[in-house]
Amino acid sequence: MTDALRRTYVLESPPDDVETVHDLLASLWSEAPQVTNGDRIRFETALIELAANVMTYAVPGGTVECTLLIEVTDVRIIATLTDSGYEADIPLTDGRMPGELQEAGRGLLLMRALVDEIEYTREGDLNRWRIARNLAE
Amino acid sequence: MEITAHDADAGFTILRLVGRLNMVTARQLRSSVAEAVAEGRSRLVVDLAQTESMDSSGLGVLINSLKVARQAGGDLRIAAPNEQVKLVLQLTNMERLFHAHPSAEVAYQND
Repeated sequence: MTDALRRTYVLESPPDDVETVHDLLASLWSEAPQVTNGDRIRFETALIELAANVMTYAVPGGTVECTLLIEVTDVRIIATLTDSGYEADIPLTDGRMPGELQEAGRGLLLMRALVDEIEYTREGDLNRWRIARNLAE
Repeated sequence: MEITAHDADAGFTILRLVGRLNMVTARQLRSSVAEAVAEGRSRLVVDLAQTESMDSSGLGVLINSLKVARQAGGDLRIAAPNEQVKLVLQLTNMERLFHAHPSAEVAYQND
């Protein structure tokens, strides 16, 4: 059992965007060799969907401040994203994939398919999102 | 992300996407497809061999591009997606609409 790896990143969007999150994860993965390529792909894809959603909808046309905490242990990886945006009103537990020629509406469903836990809470003036993926043995 | 376009001998246009296809870069693909179709090139292949990742915004623009190509009498096919892109297509039930060809050069081979 190795110690948990914890990294905290402060983001402001714009100018930060999902490319920033990809770059942060690339650095993180180099410190977490226990995470397989399959788990990296799945967790990163889920986190990008979450970050894209927050950066697009939390403060439409304005600036959103985010704190991203990522924790990696031997058995799971967890991201907690706190943002200063408006309270979110999105279904986390239901919904179906849109028709194949529809261009939008897949992001959160895709995220749900890639993680084992997803939570959203409103805490004061902040949104708190938490996603967790159990690592392959 | 960088996109380069070139015409294959067999009468279709290959768009090579190098980098990540996401909400930041998706408009580049939209522009490239619009430009190709405006020039009368609507048989398109998006070559994903050097595409690192795709998110749902990128997928949305891929669907839009397919519709634009088909409305112009052509088609849009994809080639050589990596594991991440294949996973996104699988989890969003898009593997039927976007059958992955092994390489851009053979995407229109059986027509």
